[in-house]
Amino acid sequence: MKQVINNEVLKIEKLKKYFHIGKDKKGPIYVRAVDGVTLSIKHGETLGLVGESGSGKSTIAYTVVGMYRPTSGQILFKGKNLGIEASKRPLSSKKEIQIVFQDPGSSLNPRQTIEQILGLPFRIHTQTPKRQLRERMVELLEKVELSPDYLYKSPPSIGGGEKQMVSIARAMASNPSLIVLDEPTSALDVSVQAKIINKLIDLQKEMNLSYLFITHDLSLMRNVADRIAIMYLGKICEVAESVTFFEKPLHPYTQMLISSVPVITEEEENLKPKKVISTGEIPSPVNIPLGCSFHLRCPYKMPVCSEIDPELIDIFPGHTVRCHLYTKENKKTIKE
Amino acid sequence: MRNSNQPNNSIATNLVRPKSIFWLNLGKNWYKFSRNTLSIIGLVIVAGIIISAIFAPWITPYPEHAGPFVDFDNTGQPPSLQHLFGTDNIGRDIFSRVIFAFRGALIMAVLVLAIAVPPGVLLGLIAGYLQNTWIDAVIMRITDIFLSVPPLILALAIATMLKPTLMNAMIAVTVMWWPWYTRLVYGMASSIRNEYFVIAADLTGASKFYILLREILPNCLSPVFTKMALDVGWVILIGASLSFVGLGEQPPIPALGQMVSDGARYMPTFWWMTIFPALAIVLAILGFNLLGDGIRDMLETGVE
Amino acid sequence: MKTKENILLNIKDLHVWYRVYGGYLKVLNGVHLMVREGERVGLVGEAGCGKTTTMKSILQILPPGDFYIPRGQIFYKGQDVLKMSFEELQRLRSREIAMIFQDPTAALNPVFTIGNQIGDVIKYSATFEENVHKEKIKTQSIKALKEVYLPDPERMCINYPFQLSGGMRQRVCIAMAISSPRNLILADEPGTSLDVTIQAQIHRLLNELVEKRNTAIILITHSLGVAREMTDRIYVMYAGTIVETATPEILFKNPVHPYTKGLLASVPKISGGGITKGIPGKLPSYLNPPSGCRFRLRCKHEKPICSEKLPKLSEIEKDHSVACYLSER
Repeated sequence: MKQVINNEVLKIEKLKKYFHIGKDKKGPIYVRAVDGVTLSIKHGETLGLVGESGSGKSTIAYTVVGMYRPTSGQILFKGKNLGIEASKRPLSSKKEIQIVFQDPGSSLNPRQTIEQILGLPFRIHTQTPKRQLRERMVELLEKVELSPDYLYKSPPSIGGGEKQMVSIARAMASNPSLIVLDEPTSALDVSVQAKIINKLIDLQKEMNLSYLFITHDLSLMRNVADRIAIMYLGKICEVAESVTFFEKPLHPYTQMLISSVPVITEEEENLKPKKVISTGEIPSPVNIPLGCSFHLRCPYKMPVCSEIDPELIDIFPGHTVRCHLYTKENKKTIKE
Repeated sequence: MRNSNQPNNSIATNLVRPKSIFWLNLGKNWYKFSRNTLSIIGLVIVAGIIISAIFAPWITPYPEHAGPFVDFDNTGQPPSLQHLFGTDNIGRDIFSRVIFAFRGALIMAVLVLAIAVPPGVLLGLIAGYLQNTWIDAVIMRITDIFLSVPPLILALAIATMLKPTLMNAMIAVTVMWWPWYTRLVYGMASSIRNEYFVIAADLTGASKFYILLREILPNCLSPVFTKMALDVGWVILIGASLSFVGLGEQPPIPALGQMVSDGARYMPTFWWMTIFPALAIVLAILGFNLLGDGIRDMLETGVE
Repeated sequence: MKTKENILLNIKDLHVWYRVYGGYLKVLNGVHLMVREGERVGLVGEAGCGKTTTMKSILQILPPGDFYIPRGQIFYKGQDVLKMSFEELQRLRSREIAMIFQDPTAALNPVFTIGNQIGDVIKYSATFEENVHKEKIKTQSIKALKEVYLPDPERMCINYPFQLSGGMRQRVCIAMAISSPRNLILADEPGTSLDVTIQAQIHRLLNELVEKRNTAIILITHSLGVAREMTDRIYVMYAGTIVETATPEILFKNPVHPYTKGLLASVPKISGGGITKGIPGKLPSYLNPPSGCRFRLRCKHEKPICSEKLPKLSEIEKDHSVACYLSER
């Protein structure tokens, strides 16, 4: 059991991020990438963020880290409001929040050596004297199970999994409190993924880190995240603890996603909800339908779904859903 | 036996590595370069030109012909064993003069590039990184203005305004050479700044200088080096064009374009007086072109 | 599954080498693979194990000049592909075997319309028989697009690839592959770059098409879950050799090769239970591959004989073959 302290390291409140992409007769057109999201992560916790492309999960990651400026809403890090771009944030917050990107190929400068790449966060955030720098870097490499001679290698000559290890080492170098991981293993093989995920979990325990873990791989999420939030077109559909999320998925979208996960054991097959065939394409975040954004693909659609956008409701403690099926008026009996 | 008081010895072993990596990289680079035989031909031609230019006084058969010298007994001699390229209208050995002419041409090329490239690259870097700001607009519009003037005419205008010497020809060519590098680097810098590794450096808190010089610039340099190799050939050509009309190195110091021009009026009977200097220009451009291709192949970062 | 007993494709002991700095990358080291008519075969393996190289060898579309085949045969309908003339190869590529590539965006030419590109495939697949009229090409294109459930096929024909989403582009690639009758489809990780729900749709579509037409298919994937749902037989590949092959039921219940076991253990399960530490070590160098079994350096059960001879793929029970000295007593 992980020690999860009850202080929140990160709290996002009613975060909105709209991208202005032009005008038409009715006025300016926005891509509503993130449309009113409230989430929190406690110290030592891993919050999983799941969704398809266009759901806004990467946008949230990038806004938390400072690549984007929020259109509205708050980002509270250890209680302090951080809702501005990275360039205007204090250096201390850059030390505390780090990010690991999805694509190992473009996350590391191909013209630098690993020594130079790792040297940057060390130089900026720690006061390590030059003589000890190399030693500390070797220690860091050992933590991610890379041998010291990697210091002299360049990214093009090492494999994808190793590159991600270097990215993780770089993120750890400044001793952060929160690491945002944007699909860190999606581009890697399953055995390499296993190694990296295990390493991430070990490091989390060792350094009491919090992770905001983004992926589309539900089976991975089940084994990594303490709590899972699922997003659709910029809004949260359901938030629950990992086990509950899979044993009692409430939102139709959640059920749809879980039912389409390819699994390899009978046991898992029996765990999946009955197959919900998704029809049609994923709508783009420019043309979000009125009412509940999911109603066009929902097998349980009711008339109210195309008119009113449902609110996020607490069904059980720690389990929230945004769906008309579960409002007090329409309380559907939940299958056991 | 490992002394348990010492740290893991990893630091000591690390210090030994860089040398072997240097040789390994050299081997890899040579392999990439030599895949194409033409690149090697280019290298041979360029090496030949450079070495013969440097050692001209010692390897040419008639070094004194490159200075004030006349020999009216031997004018207009066709190519022979004593005079590989024949002699010109006042009896000087054309072969020796061509080799000496390469000296001026190469010096000009090196100096022009050494002066024009750094500012050009720097401007392109800054404009690309600050794309869509007023700095970008100012820099690129100035660049556009320089690029819109036909290069040779600009060079001629400047060279004519100043006295006709090698130095002034170089100034003229330098002034019109830098914008190409700005354009080149601008395109690369503006796309590289969106790469994840640059964003990562920025998010960690690196200064803008560090990002420009350490993250973006190294990734822009391969087309720059390739272009520089190709440009040596082109500067030689522009230099020859200038000396063809009498601007540049003044007689009796030999210049390729001037030799072509001098010999032109003796065509077609005394064809060697024009053809050989012209072929020398062609050979230089060809050699540097092929070398440039090889350099481009060598600098590609793919998966290794 | 209607599987006739006829063998359509039979790869025997295929070795493929690439020329690089420092020597040769000995990528494929004796690949054995067999596909029967109408059968769905899965080729599972991790990045760099040689799956794409194998597929490209079947169609002989490896980069010219840089590769070398020291040994091996690829029999298609009894004829060795490696010995085919240019015309025979063209016939193979245009009438018999189709390939669907991994990245649909890269597989479609951005400056031509969809109708144009499908039309090209149809035109060239009929070259050897008759000259096909424009009208016939158009009707066939629209029919192919309908079969992949693309909405409004007539309008789709005048669209350009950039106007389509990733899922639609992949469907277009599939339409191109089925636009004329084929005996074998090589699908290289179709849908990998797409979302999970769209991927599920694409896989279902492929399944349906393959069943309807009794076309054989080799599905390359690195996802064991996908292989389980979509294939009749699975080949597990590691570092250029086939290490195990079985039907999905047998493979997932009773894996024998240590690599297969390690791979299965690394897959995260929605029932929880954490993830194992993966497989220690990494892919061997192809430049200087280890002697004998290429997996031995990562294998807990390494024995002296493993470094002497490459273990042969041998049948240990019906529909289950393994290349490992562990299974031999």
